[in-house]
Amino acid sequence: MKLKSILSLLAAVAFAGTAAAKDIELLNVSYDPTREFYVDYNVAFANFWKAKTGDTVTVKQSHGGSGKQARSVIDGLRADVVTLALANDVSALHRNGNLLPANWQERLPNDSAPYTSTIVFLVRKGSPAAAKIKDWDDLAQPGVAVITPNPKTSGGAQWNYLAAWEYGRRKYGSDEKAKEFVAKIYKNVPVLDSGARGSTTTFVQRGIGDVFISWENEAFLAVKEFGADKFEIVIPSLSILAQPSVAVVDKVVKRKGTEEVAKAYLEYLYSEEAQDLIGKHYFRPTSEKAKAKYAAAFPKLEIFTIDEAFGGWAKAAKDHFADGATFDQIYLNK
Amino acid sequence: MRTIPRSLRVALATAIAATGFTATTFAQAASADDINALREQIRLLDQKLRVLERNQELKDETAVADAKKLPKITVSDGRIEVASSDGANSLRLRGLVQGDARFYLDDANAAQDQFLLRRARLAFEGKFAERFNYAVQPEFAGSTVSILDAFVNTSVFPALNVQVGRFKTPVGLEQLQSDPIAFFNERSIATNLAPNRDVGVQVFGPLADNRVTYQVAITNGVIDGGNSPTDSANSEGDFTYSGRLFATPFANEKDSALKGLGFGIGGAIGNYSGSASAPLVNAYRTDGQQNAFRYANNAAPTLANTTIANGTSYVISPQAYFYTGPLGILAEYFTTSSEVSIGSGATLNQQKLNNQAYNLSVGYVLTGEEAGFRGVTPKTNFNPTAGTWGAFEVVARLAWLDVDNDAFIVPAGAPVALAAANNATEVSSFGLGLNWYLSRSVRFGLNALNNDFKLAPSAAPAAGSVLADDEQVLIGRVQLSF
Repeated sequence: MKLKSILSLLAAVAFAGTAAAKDIELLNVSYDPTREFYVDYNVAFANFWKAKTGDTVTVKQSHGGSGKQARSVIDGLRADVVTLALANDVSALHRNGNLLPANWQERLPNDSAPYTSTIVFLVRKGSPAAAKIKDWDDLAQPGVAVITPNPKTSGGAQWNYLAAWEYGRRKYGSDEKAKEFVAKIYKNVPVLDSGARGSTTTFVQRGIGDVFISWENEAFLAVKEFGADKFEIVIPSLSILAQPSVAVVDKVVKRKGTEEVAKAYLEYLYSEEAQDLIGKHYFRPTSEKAKAKYAAAFPKLEIFTIDEAFGGWAKAAKDHFADGATFDQIYLNK
Repeated sequence: MRTIPRSLRVALATAIAATGFTATTFAQAASADDINALREQIRLLDQKLRVLERNQELKDETAVADAKKLPKITVSDGRIEVASSDGANSLRLRGLVQGDARFYLDDANAAQDQFLLRRARLAFEGKFAERFNYAVQPEFAGSTVSILDAFVNTSVFPALNVQVGRFKTPVGLEQLQSDPIAFFNERSIATNLAPNRDVGVQVFGPLADNRVTYQVAITNGVIDGGNSPTDSANSEGDFTYSGRLFATPFANEKDSALKGLGFGIGGAIGNYSGSASAPLVNAYRTDGQQNAFRYANNAAPTLANTTIANGTSYVISPQAYFYTGPLGILAEYFTTSSEVSIGSGATLNQQKLNNQAYNLSVGYVLTGEEAGFRGVTPKTNFNPTAGTWGAFEVVARLAWLDVDNDAFIVPAGAPVALAAANNATEVSSFGLGLNWYLSRSVRFGLNALNNDFKLAPSAAPAAGSVLADDEQVLIGRVQLSF
C-alpha cells in the first residue's frame, strides 16, 4: 500500500467528519444581569443557525462580576465570546492575554455594544428611607444604607461609581469634592458583593439596605418579580450611559474551530429579533425599530457618556479603579 | 366635725384630676417614644445581623469558589489522580505487578520451573491543555527497564483522533486487550502472529454513533508478535501500514441480547529488510513461554546462518467477541505472509511463508458478574470476616498455530533451511483456568495448559529439548493492577 493511498483514506475520514451536520458548543462568558436575556437569545440564535447551516449550536453561559469574568478568561476559561458589562473589561483580554486584537471594538456596530443601559435606584416601597431618597445626594446622608457591588470585580459597580462621581463633580464643582461625596456614599455601604446579581440578592432577598444602586434592567426585573407593591424605582437627576460590550475571543475560537459561529452569534445580537428580546429584558435596544417600540418603557433622564465625563475607559480605569486609585483610597480609609 | 368648704373641695378635686390627667398623658407620650426608639433599635440591630449574616455568606461563597480552584486529588482502589480544578490537566498514576509461578508437568521442561516477576509497570497517564492525552508506561520487570507505551493523542473531531508515539499496532484483538484483564495469564499462541508495539502515527475514532471504530496507523514496522525498538529506523525507508475496523452494531441498544457482540478485521502490511545482526524475525512461543519455533540463528550471525526478513509481509486477522451476562467469548484468526531468506547470492534461500493461527477463548463468571472486553468488576471484595469472597471466573481456550512447511525445506542449491527441522511446524493448545477477582485490583489466576507439537515430516526433536514432550504447564499468577 502506498503512502498516497493512506493519505487519501485519512482525507476521506476527515471529510466525513466535517461534511456532516455538526454539534457545536460555545461558551458565552458574561456579566451578572444578562442571565435571563441570554437564555432566550441562545434559543433564538440556535434556531437561526440551525436553519442557516443545519448545525446544532448549544451555548453555555457563565455569569459573574464583569471584571472577575474577564480575569477568568485571561486565566484560561475557554470563552468563545465575552459579553461583558463594560468595554474596559473586554480590552483587558487584549492587554493581559492578547486574546483578541486591540481594535476589537471596531468589528461590530456601535463600538461593539449591541444595547445600552443606565443606572437607577431601587428602594423598598413605603419604607421611611424610600420617602427621602430622590437623588444621589440622599445616598450620602448619614444612616442611609446603600447597596452596590465592588467596583474591583463588578462592571455595574464601576458604572455606579462613575455616575455618582460625575454627579458630585457637577454639583460640588471639583474632583476633590466629588471624591468626598463618593466617599460619603461608600461609607454607607455595609456589604460589597462581587457582582450585580449578588447585590440584588443582598437588597431584595436578604432585606439589607435602604437603597440599591442598580442596573436599570435589574431594577425592572426586581419590580417585575417581587411586585410593584414591594419595590419602586427612583430615577436620579443624572446617570451614565452604560455600554456593555461584546467580542469574539479570537485565540480561543481559532483553537476550537468555532470562529464562524462565534462571530455570527454576536452579529445576530443586532438583528431585529435579538433587539426585540433586548427590549423585552429591559435593556435599551440600539435598532431604531426596537427603540421606538420600547421607548415608553424607559424613563427619560439626563445621561452622560464616559467619554464626555472621564475621557474614556482607559483613563477612568486608571484614575479610579487601578490599585491605589480613588476607589482604593476611599474604601481602604472607610 | 368641720368640713372642707364646697368651693375648696371642687378646687382640690379639679387640681387632683388635672394632675392625674397630665401625668397620664405624659406617661402615654413617653411610652410611644420609647416604643418607636425600641423599634428603631430593633430595626438597626436586625440590619446589623443581616449584614453580618450576608458578609459571612459571601465569605463562605468565596471560600467555596477558592476551593474549586485547588487541584483535585482522587484516590480510588489504588489509583491516584491529580487534576487541575478545571479538569484541563491531570496526571494519573497506575500500576501493574504480576508475580508468576510456572510448573511444567512434562519431563522436557521440568527444569524450567520457576517463580517469575512477569510484569512490573508504572503507567503515567493524563491530559494537558484539556485536549491532549498522554501515557508513558515503563516496564521494570526483566533485566533492563524499557518503555512500553509512550504516546500523545488529541481529538480533532470526535471521529478523528490522532496519536503519535509508541503504542500497540491495531491488528490483534487479544493483543489489544489490556494485559491484566485477558482471560488467561498468557495470551494465546495465536498472538505470535500479531504485531505488538510499534512507533508511529495512528488516527482512530468512532463512527456511526459509536457502532463502528476504526484505527489506521503508519509505523516503523514489526512482524510476528514482536515489539519495535524505540530507536529502530524503518527498514528500507518503507513504513508499515496497519488498520482495523471493528463493529459493535448493537452496543447502543441496552435491551438487545446482542449488545455485547463485536466483530471486525485487522491487518498490516509492510516491507522489511533484516540483516544478520538485526534479522527482524521473531520466535513463536508456547503457552509456557518456551520457544516452539525459531528461525535459523547463530551466536555469530552471518547471512549464511541467520534467517532475515527480506520482502513484503502482511497479516490479516478477522476477529470477534461476544459478551452476555457472565459469559464471554473471544475469537480471532490470523493468516500471514512473510518473505524471509537465508544465505545470499547463489546460495540464497528465499521463501514466502504463509503461517496461520486461531484462538477461541471462553470465560464464565461463576459469581454472576458481567463479563466484558474491559474485564470483570467483582460485586464484592474479598473479605472473609464479612463473608464476601470476590468474583470467580472459569476460562477455557483452544488455540492453534501453523508454520508453513516451506520454512523447513532446503531448495536445490540452497545450503540450509529457514528453520531447523526440529522446530515445531504446528502447535495445538488447550487450556483451562480459574480467575479469582479478590477486588477490582487484585486477581489470582491459575491456568493449566497443554501444548501439542508437530514437527516437520521425519524430523525428531533434539534430545531434552522443549519439544521432546508435549508442554504441560501450570501457571499461577498473583496480580495487582490499579
